[in-house]
Amino acid sequence: MHISIKERLDSIISNLDQLPSIPDVVGKVINMVNDPNVDFKSVAQEISRDQAITTNLLKLCNSAYFSKGKEITSLDRAIVTLGIKEVKDAIMVVATKAVLNRAILGYDLAKGMLWEHDLAVAVLAKNIAMMKKDRANADIAFTGGIIHDVGKTVLAIFVQNVFKDILARVESGGVSFQQAEREIMGYDHQEVGERILAKWKFPEVLKYIVRYHHEPEQAPKEARKIVSYVHVANSICLMAGIGIGSDGLYHELSERAITLLGVTDEELNQLYSDVPEVLKHVQGLS
Amino acid sequence: MNTLINVGVARLEVGSNPAVLRTILGSCVGICIYDRIKKIGGLAHILLPNWVKDGVKEKYADTAVPLLIAQLLKMGCTREFMSAKIAGGASMFKFQSNMALGQIGQRNVEMSRQALQEKGIPIVAEDVGGNVGRVIDFFLEDGRMKVKAAGEEKLYYKV
Repeated sequence: MHISIKERLDSIISNLDQLPSIPDVVGKVINMVNDPNVDFKSVAQEISRDQAITTNLLKLCNSAYFSKGKEITSLDRAIVTLGIKEVKDAIMVVATKAVLNRAILGYDLAKGMLWEHDLAVAVLAKNIAMMKKDRANADIAFTGGIIHDVGKTVLAIFVQNVFKDILARVESGGVSFQQAEREIMGYDHQEVGERILAKWKFPEVLKYIVRYHHEPEQAPKEARKIVSYVHVANSICLMAGIGIGSDGLYHELSERAITLLGVTDEELNQLYSDVPEVLKHVQGLS
Repeated sequence: MNTLINVGVARLEVGSNPAVLRTILGSCVGICIYDRIKKIGGLAHILLPNWVKDGVKEKYADTAVPLLIAQLLKMGCTREFMSAKIAGGASMFKFQSNMALGQIGQRNVEMSRQALQEKGIPIVAEDVGGNVGRVIDFFLEDGRMKVKAAGEEKLYYKV
């Protein structure tokens, strides 16, 4: 373990100012949408306080992925036409782009690669939830997909310094990449990501997705299924090379997650085979 | 200045000197074919080994190879001067051995080799398997292939 790195990370994650920020409105809207008795008008009002978000949101609501055909020109219209959960997903895309659409040096991801990966995982995780007739959780799978790797944005610079040590640990110890991250730096990108979401005041379920996307069986039972959608989608996208970086495929594809979701071998192959179609949707989002 | 052409998943691109064809691979395989006299080459980024009915031919090793060769022949290449390099075909670090998806990388490599052999194109270099992601650059200037994986670069010059 590199104690100096661990100490620097201790200080970064306990100091909110040093973690990435997103507009306040996002945390508020996500928590409002979580409430089954939410009032649509108050959500629209909350969003409209942020002019930049509103403008980009309306643009995205008219994109191929979200659009239902009719042109959307107001927030009220967006919520009525698309539904509040879809609008929340669209806000997530708009609000996290600045944090995620950048070069991630230590993981060898050129600008745009992490963003493309995150959007692809979001679309695919949602598709898997829909395939398993879990409509109620499909939007959470999407949101979780977008932010699952947010911890990499903070950890990357440290990974760059100790990449050789991490890889040596993976190869000598037979442990997956994120476990080696923990052993060498004291934290892995999932834990750092969870702290970022705490700063953003995101709901627990999203924190679980970020914290356990490589280890879904460790997630609390009530969240395990949702975490597994993102886990499977993430594994498939990495196998297809979407946003694959220096950590490569040094990750586990969890049999238990697949069994829990009831995804058959055939369905798994089909999901992998359909990655090019997922990428077409992603182009409309990025 | 080289012209960089990005080759997406399940896509196939051809070009001539001084173009550079780039692709990023996990379990997929990048099949590079080069005519050393014409300095023309192509790269197929295949996702799966075997064509299934209605599938796009670029997506599968067994159909992408003949398609790539046909395109190169149309550009004036000669089969005798063609050689191939392949890269990719990685697997997840840990997976249950009975899971078909886990074997995809290896099957992609095997089918790529077989398809090239059937067409009589020799494979002069391979950088396959393991658990790494690979960024490959295929330089049509001289047919060299650069593979960047796990923070290191390797060059394959043989054509």
